[in-house]
Amino acid sequence: MYTWIPLHSAADLGQLEKHVSPEYGPKRVAKTLADGLSSAVKAVLIERNYIDKDYRSTYYNFYSKKGQHYRADCVRLHFFDGTITFDEKALAFACPDNRLTDHYFGYMVLRPTGIATIGRTVLSPDIRSGASRFIITANHKVHLLGYKLMVQGFPSMDQHIDISVCAHTACWSVLRHYSERYNVYREFLTHDITMMAQEFDPGGLVPSKGLQMSHAERVFQQAGTFPVHIARVTSTATDPAFYRQLSAYIESGFPLFAAMHKRGHAVAVVGYQWRVPITTAVPGMRYAWDEVESLAVVDDNYLPYFSIPAKPAPTGTGYSAEDIDAFIVALPEKVFYPADAVDRLAPALFKLGSIVGLPPKEETIIRYFITTGSALRRFVRDKASEFDPMLMSKIMTIPFAQFVWIVEFATEKQWAVGQVEARAVIDATASLLEIMPLWLLHSRTDALIFDRQRVGSDLSAGMGGLKLANTGHSGFTRMDQNLRPTQTK
Amino acid sequence: MSKDDESTISEVTKGLTPVDPKALEDFEREMNEQVIPEIKAVVEERRVRAAESRQLQLKYLTTHSSVLRSLS
Repeated sequence: MYTWIPLHSAADLGQLEKHVSPEYGPKRVAKTLADGLSSAVKAVLIERNYIDKDYRSTYYNFYSKKGQHYRADCVRLHFFDGTITFDEKALAFACPDNRLTDHYFGYMVLRPTGIATIGRTVLSPDIRSGASRFIITANHKVHLLGYKLMVQGFPSMDQHIDISVCAHTACWSVLRHYSERYNVYREFLTHDITMMAQEFDPGGLVPSKGLQMSHAERVFQQAGTFPVHIARVTSTATDPAFYRQLSAYIESGFPLFAAMHKRGHAVAVVGYQWRVPITTAVPGMRYAWDEVESLAVVDDNYLPYFSIPAKPAPTGTGYSAEDIDAFIVALPEKVFYPADAVDRLAPALFKLGSIVGLPPKEETIIRYFITTGSALRRFVRDKASEFDPMLMSKIMTIPFAQFVWIVEFATEKQWAVGQVEARAVIDATASLLEIMPLWLLHSRTDALIFDRQRVGSDLSAGMGGLKLANTGHSGFTRMDQNLRPTQTK
Repeated sequence: MSKDDESTISEVTKGLTPVDPKALEDFEREMNEQVIPEIKAVVEERRVRAAESRQLQLKYLTTHSSVLRSLS
């Protein structure tokens, strides 16, 4: 029932064909793994007769109704580094440091469907060749032979083709991440997703006709989230604000359901990589999106964390971020102030520069994202030495709403070393028409603090200034909290 | 409003220095005349574009042929 395959080279993955029956597609799986995994993976454990809840949901509702006989069980592959050995008789691992999880890279379920056999998969980005630097992940528990393992990753799978397509798979990936990451969301199986997309039971092969964006919105709404659907405007050539908010939501830790209508394709966007910091010859305000080199996507045609360039490659035949023309972000309730508003408000804050001491607008890189008031306080507590005690005391006592937009202002020099000069905290529950939707705006020298417990008072009456003591640093630490840095192995 | 609520409100700006209203004039003007109208316009434009893109079909089956080839 269990077979251990040591890997000395990628070619050894070909042994999967000997040990796994053809209905699980071992030949294609071996090639996919050989093309996409790094050489840090030194062993694969094959687990047979695995009952996979996602496959079973499609088996009970589709495959078992077909004339061709499909098996009910799956095969699961587990990936390990070179320090682990496996005793096939005792069915036990030997691990030098007794920390098996530290040497475990995740799993891949194989479905007995003949075509598109890669089922639920959670792989560590660390062993994915070419994975981007920052990836949205959650902890996924794995029970294997009495061992309780953990892998940090983002769920992926092949589309079934006949009962689900790329868009169902992208919805499933995002929602499975949510159910693992946030305990307020329940788990939805593959068949649940096909049912949630329609107002009625679509039955049979209807789901394979594809999904519309409205169906995907419905899936996320049915799952208890509050989906926001953003489409690129066509009145401007590139609509940079569309991409700036796309990257802002990723920075916030929200994976995106992204559509490429020209290709009829949908993927989940789950991470990004910044380009090497540069010094520009011509000054001009930039945004974090301008520094993004590539996005990481979960595309059901590839292993997870497939890297796509931000701009089309001159000779590339694949797609780039510019092919994405709409996305859905499944937000929690209470994010009312849209990213488009933050995108326009952020540069206007330079008008307060004379009070707060912001860097020159033309030399600034702006980055914005959503977080919670609690996460902000945790971050500030963690970096307490960087903050004037009076400012820290204010941050701890301002009655933030649950969600806040953070805008960070950095010079090129600070950006290169992960620092920021100033930070604005915007109320994510603010109205579009508010002149001052802020809780706080501070630099290294000054702070403006806003009393949002009073509605309708004049601007200056509802705010106060604070002169900050010099804490002796060259910039605050950039608030990078939501994505996991990839440690390539 | 209770006295407790009142004390919470005063806590936010307690110990802070007043801000000169003149220093806010530029910002207020920019928000009223430029930023808020732009926000309203772009939010409406996004709503229209989202409504248009809602009906577009997403269906991509490229793995199919490659999978069948790999089985053959």
